[in-house]
Amino acid sequence: MTSLLQTQALELAYGQVPACRDISINVNDGEIVTLIGANGAGKTTILRAIAGALPPRSGTIRFAGKDITALPSHERTNLGIALVPEGRRVFPFLTVRENLELGGFKFRKEHARVRDRMQAMFGMFPRLRDRAAQNAGTLSGGEQQMLALARAMMSEPRLLCLDEPSLGLAPLVVRDIFQTITAINARGTAVLLVEQNARYALQVARRGYVLQTGSIATSGPCSELRSDLRVQEAYLGRGAASAGAAAP
Amino acid sequence: MSSIVLQQAINGIVVGSLYVLVALGLTLIYGVLVQINFAHADIVTLGAFAAYGVTHLLSGNYLAGIAAALGLGAALGWLINAGIFVPLRERGSELLPLIATIGVSIMLQNAMLALLGPIPYAFDTPYSNQVIRLGTLFLTVQNVLIILVSGVSIALLYGFMKFTFLGKALRAVSQDRETAGLMGINPGHLIMLTFVIASALAGLSGAMLGPVLVLTPFAGTSVIVKAFAIVIIGGFGNVEGTILAGLLVGLIESYTTQFLDPGLIDIVVFALLLLTLAVRPTGLIAERREENV
Ligand SMILES: Nc1ncnc2c1ncn2[C@@H]1O[C@H](COP(=O)(O)OP(=O)(O)O)[C@@H](O)[C@H]1O
Ligand SMILES: [Mg+2]
Repeated sequence: MTSLLQTQALELAYGQVPACRDISINVNDGEIVTLIGANGAGKTTILRAIAGALPPRSGTIRFAGKDITALPSHERTNLGIALVPEGRRVFPFLTVRENLELGGFKFRKEHARVRDRMQAMFGMFPRLRDRAAQNAGTLSGGEQQMLALARAMMSEPRLLCLDEPSLGLAPLVVRDIFQTITAINARGTAVLLVEQNARYALQVARRGYVLQTGSIATSGPCSELRSDLRVQEAYLGRGAASAGAAAP
Repeated sequence: MSSIVLQQAINGIVVGSLYVLVALGLTLIYGVLVQINFAHADIVTLGAFAAYGVTHLLSGNYLAGIAAALGLGAALGWLINAGIFVPLRERGSELLPLIATIGVSIMLQNAMLALLGPIPYAFDTPYSNQVIRLGTLFLTVQNVLIILVSGVSIALLYGFMKFTFLGKALRAVSQDRETAGLMGINPGHLIMLTFVIASALAGLSGAMLGPVLVLTPFAGTSVIVKAFAIVIIGGFGNVEGTILAGLLVGLIESYTTQFLDPGLIDIVVFALLLLTLAVRPTGLIAERREENV
């Protein structure tokens, strides 16, 4: 398998405050990789750097063989990176249909393609078809997550990054979302899944990285991570009562 | 009596629709940037003088004058964004661009004062003295032109925002700039587009206002004060609210002139502003949608 995304020794900061250091992760074409870690560990920060919303202080990001470290967010989207941001971030005062159209912004000169793609998304998420003319801000949390996911898929990405898609959703809805993610991956899109919900994430993904207070503590195949004592203690709620412990 | 009411309604709509054009520019820029361009007033004034100059140069071709004002406005919008807002964006303080545009405004006013003098120019268009009678009502062709041009501009802008890919992208940028970037939208381009559209509208309204106003280097300033009031009454960043508030202020102005005293106009308008702030701080059309644009 060829490497699709590769970050090398990324150092990320907010102003003068360091957030993450020495982040080297790799996602191959077509695989699902998960990045787990407690609240405040730096997961969102890393995804924002990959998507181009936060310029790294040092280190490099390569995508499909190209150095994209200096590229702005909108150009990365055109290359095939899509991010479903934390908290969904749908455009609340645009309709569901308009949100999807903007997801396909890079195909704006090919109206037929945007229309076909939208039909495909309505096929995958029939609820969105029923709500097409509603403002996205009026949707339920689960529907907004589906919209954010569908909006990201409108750009036909090669790499789909997801930031805590299960956050704040009912267990049934979470199962739906994870099934959809698996289905999307089965059709060839590589997925980088960030989760606090490690139990689900380690089931869906093949490989994983465990983040602890801004750096990678351990990584490997998910089967190994599941039995790793440290991961169990910290994220799977077995042993010590440190599940979900916040980073300093 | 009722024909006076109707006549003043027409006058109110004429003035109001021009206020709408000026205020829409302010609202659009606030929507995408949460910033105010204080030189907006001077683009209105420069638009009026450009229209005046071109109309005279081409021996009475007012339509060419309007086109010139539109073009000059667009160019100035590009310049102000490229020269002030873009370079100052990364400098941290949100007050910097605001203060810089106040500086530009003072510079432009003094330059115009030095060049054009303080004495009002008489800007008569070929249409100012042609009158259409409708029963007891009458309208100058100039006023018909004002209503037509601003009506068409407002409709075009509305259609652009509602139905085109770029218009939707512009609304997305004003709702969530970072996420708009994730969609492949270049927010910088759309902010520039907003400045160009907003300033073209200001130039255009200057060309239309010139023959109606007292044309001096401070003409735009007298309009901008009302435009700010309209933007606030309409709910900052809300296009529909701005259109409604602009027409309302125009009507209030013409009825105050007719039935009370022209000197009271500003008092009545700002009383309405304070009332709006007290009763509906999010503007006329509000409720669930404090939509930017
Ligand atoms: N916008 C921001 N400004 C300053 N610090 C931030 C910002 N966002 C996150 N941080 C800090 O960076 C660290 C990592 O945060 P984040 O990436 O959001 O963690 P996670 O997504 O794993 O919960 C935390 O210490 C957090 O306080
Ligand atoms: Mg997070």
